[in-house]
Amino acid sequence: MIVDRRLLPHLDWPLILGLLALTLVGLSTIYSVTIDPVTKVAGQEFWTQLYAIPIAFAALAACLLVDYRTLVQRSWLIYLALIALLVAVMFFGVVRGGARRWLQFPGLSLQPSEFARITVALVLTMFFADWRRSAKNIPELAIGAAIVAVPFLLIAQQPDLGTATLLAPVYLGVTFMAGLRLRWVWTALIVLVLLSPVIYRYGLQDYQRDRIATFVDPSKDPRGEGYQQLQAKITVGSGGLYGKGFLQGTQGQNGFLPVAHNDFVFSVLAEEHGFMGVLGVMALYLFVITRSLDAAKLARDRSGALLVVAIVSGFGFQVLYNITMSAGLAPVKGLPLPLMSYGGSSLVATLAGFGLILNVRMRRFGN
Amino acid sequence: MLTAGAFEERRTNEGRLTGLRVLFAACFSILVVAFWVIQVLQHDKYANQAENNHLRTIPLRAPRGVVFDRNGQVLVENRLSFTIAIVRDQARDLNGTIERLAAATGRDPAEMAAIVKNRQNEPKFRPVPVIEHATLAQVAAVAARQIELPGVLIQQVPTRQYSAGVAAHAFGYVGEVQPVQLETTEFQALEPGAIVGQAGLERVYNRHLMGVDGNRFVIINSVGREIEELQKQLPVDGQRLQVTIDADVQRALEDGFKAAGFAGAAAVLDPNTGEMLAMTSLPAYDPNAFASGLPGQAWTRLLTDPLKPMTNRLIQGTYSPGSVFKIVMAVAGLEEGVITPDTKFFCSGHGVFYGRAFKCHKAGGHGWVDLRHALEKSCNVYFYNIGDRMKIDTIHSYSARLGLTGKTGIDLPSEVDSLVPSTEWKQRTQKQPWYPGETISVAIGQGAVSVTPIALATMIATVANGGTLITPHLGKAFDAADGKGWQPIPTPEPKSRLSMTPEMLQAVRDGLWMVVNEAGTGGRARIPGRDVAGKTGTSQVVGLQNKSLATARGMDTRDNGWFVFFAPRDNPQIAGVVFAEHGEHGSSAAPIAKHVMETFFAKKDGLPLPVIQMPGVAAPPAAAPAPTASPVASGNGRTPPPARASVVTARPGG
Repeated sequence: MIVDRRLLPHLDWPLILGLLALTLVGLSTIYSVTIDPVTKVAGQEFWTQLYAIPIAFAALAACLLVDYRTLVQRSWLIYLALIALLVAVMFFGVVRGGARRWLQFPGLSLQPSEFARITVALVLTMFFADWRRSAKNIPELAIGAAIVAVPFLLIAQQPDLGTATLLAPVYLGVTFMAGLRLRWVWTALIVLVLLSPVIYRYGLQDYQRDRIATFVDPSKDPRGEGYQQLQAKITVGSGGLYGKGFLQGTQGQNGFLPVAHNDFVFSVLAEEHGFMGVLGVMALYLFVITRSLDAAKLARDRSGALLVVAIVSGFGFQVLYNITMSAGLAPVKGLPLPLMSYGGSSLVATLAGFGLILNVRMRRFGN
Repeated sequence: MLTAGAFEERRTNEGRLTGLRVLFAACFSILVVAFWVIQVLQHDKYANQAENNHLRTIPLRAPRGVVFDRNGQVLVENRLSFTIAIVRDQARDLNGTIERLAAATGRDPAEMAAIVKNRQNEPKFRPVPVIEHATLAQVAAVAARQIELPGVLIQQVPTRQYSAGVAAHAFGYVGEVQPVQLETTEFQALEPGAIVGQAGLERVYNRHLMGVDGNRFVIINSVGREIEELQKQLPVDGQRLQVTIDADVQRALEDGFKAAGFAGAAAVLDPNTGEMLAMTSLPAYDPNAFASGLPGQAWTRLLTDPLKPMTNRLIQGTYSPGSVFKIVMAVAGLEEGVITPDTKFFCSGHGVFYGRAFKCHKAGGHGWVDLRHALEKSCNVYFYNIGDRMKIDTIHSYSARLGLTGKTGIDLPSEVDSLVPSTEWKQRTQKQPWYPGETISVAIGQGAVSVTPIALATMIATVANGGTLITPHLGKAFDAADGKGWQPIPTPEPKSRLSMTPEMLQAVRDGLWMVVNEAGTGGRARIPGRDVAGKTGTSQVVGLQNKSLATARGMDTRDNGWFVFFAPRDNPQIAGVVFAEHGEHGSSAAPIAKHVMETFFAKKDGLPLPVIQMPGVAAPPAAAPAPTASPVASGNGRTPPPARASVVTARPGG
């Protein structure tokens, strides 16, 4: 399956450059956090990430090879494979940090839940675009929700509620583009707001209530998540307008900010490069998102548009949430920052998603 | 229609896509504003916090449970000691800090650096203790140099405090849990560095006595001063323990040994329940030295001391019981019907069994003696005759029912087995049949008989109470401070019951009473009006043929002395054993028992406690006239008993 050479000029090179820029900024931040201050040797995480970047771009390229319409048509096969992998994790998964999320293969460990978003995006596109189901009536919306619910529950029980929750913006994005009545969206929002005290009281587990209480008043749990939240704010705030300079951060390097190379990579960026660095990276993210949405506008058919919006919604939501959390402005949840945080599976899954977006744009002409 | 529909859809799509763009742009704009506020407007505040605000966890060690005696007197408590620790993330220049700290406290900087290096994988905000049990001078030196020593912390830590010279082996000692111990079920789930009981009651009841450590989470500034306490988890004190020991009886026992100047061991108990009123093993160690961190040298010295202060002789030393074993033979002979209290044998100074003459300690012989007089005079020939009429396995079985085989089950760690031989034992260990001639030696406590002092205490308690084999024990109750008050530790069930007929029991009790109150060897334990019963024993440390050789090697070859006792004869309330290592004769152990019993009865009757005169603690010549107290003061104005040590000199026997 060789890509038609005529398609290459239609590749969105600016978007690819934007993605590359963000992964490299992420890599340099990981380097800064993990470098040994005495020996000046970069940490293992840096080298792992360095080796994951080409693999992830290869995954992006691989997603260009096949026409996205074929992928959408066959997406139920991918969906079944995902479910099989998630079930395999349940039985053969490796436990790290109290959660069973990884499948261990020689030389490689895989986190199947990272691929759930892009799979769900494909299947929902098949359902709402290919099968021309309408998002304007409740039964169709419910079937769509059921498709999301299976991987959601499998991931949530790992437990990894954070990653599972990321399926929600994918669903919302697809149904929004598929014509979801805005009235319903507003109604649902108002009901949710009105019911929130009831949900807080009866719908949540104690630890979840604690988490919210901690968010409102971090000093209640200064050792656990409240501590991370306080430290995140100190990290970001101490960066100032221009930052402390590359390799000059202290919060992550001295171990005050936990998982600085992963969930809090943006905090370290803000510390070292200041508000200007933050502006630059946010601009890059916004560029990547709007550029991707262009692909939806240019798409030759409804399925292309839906697929792009599904992927962008999941991506954009995660970026916004992580950045908000990294400034101590949202409850601490184990969600990496796409493209920048340490983590091979996340990077491969994210760039594979952008491969599909590029695929849609590249094949916008044609029959 | 289709085209119109497609066109309609396209328009909706474009509208919604624009909506999405606006939504994302708006979100990013809000974030930009938020970062502007935090990074630019509030920069000073957070920069200051990043510079100064460091979280520090200060462990609060839980005090171990206080130990009380049976009357509520405190035996083991806690005092505060100082620990000097380094917090690495706070010490800007770690090596410089270590050097300055070592110089200020007079320690070796290399040693201190090694301690820090050992803990380098722990989080940097966790204090690394470098000087435990610091002296006040060291604390003062560090406190005065606090500015030059950022990151150096002085902590107060509760430390075990034992009453000096009291039952060291009963309480044991505490120390840091060893890495190998962390893998055992006894100490699993503990963190390295935890202080646990390493011996004695501290170890047996460690789970109860240990509390749960707490923590203080504080924010400190760049010079290590605490700015704010974020959270405090209070430590949970260990459970309080009440033991069966009576502090006054215990002190009397220790004083008795001190006055006599022996090494040895002793146990005093309530014969009806097995509750230990006092126990000792000498020489002992000072458990306070362990609590305040024993230097390696001192530890080696303790382990290599030829007098073995780390051995709890009471439960870990096995010795030949000598004539004390005759009590077992008397009980066995009566119960088996081999003799009656009135059975008489003729002692001519020796007896011939299996073609060999076995000597009595009295050269001229005791003449015709019955059981009571045989016990009183400790006549060997009488007991040879009982042994001659019994099988070794029968003797073994009665020994077991009197607690002289295996372990007694006292609640102390590392008790060893007592041994009374049997045919099975000999076959197993020496692959040889039992020779009947050996039974004759066993009958007077010689041969392969080898028992712990605590086993003999159990034996005499069982005889005193009429045959119920109790389990000696020290634990009485726990108080977890949970509002339920003292929760008793259940008394162990009796392990067997020998129902001795009153008539036969009385004969044995009479014989033992005569040992103390008539012409026997236990006269030094006589207390008028208390009807003390007892039996002495003397046992060789080495055989006669090896004696000169052993003496030449510098070994102490003087005989060991035993005294087992109970009182009053007909309604025993106290029983016990005194083992005088190299005491030469059992009668020399008797005064210790006497002082203990006098104290016990005086306390019971609410009388002033007797005082024992220490040798070498005479009043200085210039002082007022010497006190009138007799060398062994009875405290109640009773005349001291005549010394009888010189009456019987022959051995074995006595």
